Amino acid sequence: MATFFGEVLSVYSRAVEEDDDDLDDENEDERIHREIEEKREVHIVWCPEVAQSLEDSGSNTLQCSDLIIAVGTNAAGFLSAYVLNTESWDAVGHVSLWNERSRGSSRQSIAPLPGEPACLFYRHRDNPAVLVCQSTCYIAEDQLFQWTEKVLGCLQKRGLSVMVLSDSPVAEYKTPDYLYGSAVPFLRSLKSSASKGQALCPALEQPNILTGLPAAVLSHCQVHQIPAVLYQCYTDVISPDSITMETYKPALLCLSKLVKLEPCLSADVLRKFAIITEAQSNLYT
Amino acid sequence: MSLYDRAITVFSPDGHLFQVEYAQEAVKKGSTAVGIRGKDIVVLGVEKKSVAKLQEERTVRKICTLDDHVCMAFAGLTADARIVINRARVECQSHRLTVEDPVTVEYITRHIATLKQRYTQSNGRRPFGISALIVGFDCDGTPRLYQTDPSGTYHAWKANAIGRSAKTVREFLEKNYTDEAIATDNESIKLAIKALLEVVQSGGKNIELAVIRRNQPLKLLESKEIETLVTEIEKEKEDEAEKKKQKKST
Repeated sequence: MATFFGEVLSVYSRAVEEDDDDLDDENEDERIHREIEEKREVHIVWCPEVAQSLEDSGSNTLQCSDLIIAVGTNAAGFLSAYVLNTESWDAVGHVSLWNERSRGSSRQSIAPLPGEPACLFYRHRDNPAVLVCQSTCYIAEDQLFQWTEKVLGCLQKRGLSVMVLSDSPVAEYKTPDYLYGSAVPFLRSLKSSASKGQALCPALEQPNILTGLPAAVLSHCQVHQIPAVLYQCYTDVISPDSITMETYKPALLCLSKLVKLEPCLSADVLRKFAIITEAQSNLYT
Repeated sequence: MSLYDRAITVFSPDGHLFQVEYAQEAVKKGSTAVGIRGKDIVVLGVEKKSVAKLQEERTVRKICTLDDHVCMAFAGLTADARIVINRARVECQSHRLTVEDPVTVEYITRHIATLKQRYTQSNGRRPFGISALIVGFDCDGTPRLYQTDPSGTYHAWKANAIGRSAKTVREFLEKNYTDEAIATDNESIKLAIKALLEVVQSGGKNIELAVIRRNQPLKLLESKEIETLVTEIEKEKEDEAEKKKQKKST
């Protein structure tokens, strides 16, 4: 077949032939697709106790009353500094997945090293129905549904309530008003219709939308009528930063009802989780 | 909006030059600088950036002299500041040689502002991402304080702040800049420190202060002097609070 540009393309003949070659091609395509699917599969690796509890329960689900998910380095840093800093949390699992931006899954059974982008689960010792998930790795669009189904599928729906904390750059916040520097960072909230309580900050205005993992989780909760509330923090800093982390403080009000939190936080602890880019970056003076 | 913010030379339909406005956002990423015009003194105070352990502190300066009687503090992109300062210094000397007089503060400010404006109307260049506070004394002994910004505008001020928490500091200055507050040199310096303490964490050791007195060159205050002044200010605050408490109880 000649094209407009004069090159000649070879086109497969549409004559039906009982040719083995065709079948092999299809198989090869299928094989490649299957390989890619396997490579991109999302695996949750639980610690032995939790894996045992999952087996012991008839429905392969954990009893969970509250799930707190932190998406992004600032949300995760906030949880690390304000919630997970006491000794009463156990690491109970992690999610291993592979995509072009997160290449962790070659070591499926080994837990991710601290500081690596990862998806980690923690459970409170005194109140094992409270689960915290810190997700700092990138989850591709085709993996979001799997992630949500697998994670939320492990938890009993009855009595479950979900809170999501997520970071977003303020450049993606659409508003007709000019945002003065002092307003940033700020929180906006979204709730599933099953969620009854008052959100602690204004709702996210139109035409702003959520994308990625927070959106997948909230959609799942909306479909399955799980009460869920999401707090999106818009910030102008691209690295983990203590001021952005402090913006999530209103969420502490809800959390303090569930677990005992450290009453006051020294600035040093916060600084540990915030990358001190100031000293190294001489771009701005 | 994003159709009109890629090129500096393009206005948006509602009259914005987005690149210039974005340059002003870059200024907000620099640490705070405050300038106060007193009666016989001009003061520049800046929030010191924390330097890396192996870095020479002397080479990380926000306050620089342009001539013996003029100096400036900037906030924003370090490299852009260096270029602007070099051009200003050359112009100061060129003026001395040509006209046999030192520059007036207004002249050199106008020169810097014109330079900045040129970069907002050129093809293929971006605006300078700095705002500057220029202080000094004219030949006739008048103290001056000017502020420039990335768009190339400049204005004279009695007191102003630029950089990260400039709005908070400016509000503080609007409330507290009175004739009494700048009655003496020491009071003017203390006003600058008080303004910075509003926004600087961890107090005096993160503040750098420079003063020019009439017919004297720029003087950078030593950290000991700043600490003394900070202690004085804190004591004054405590005394104020005590007085208020006593007033309440009587």
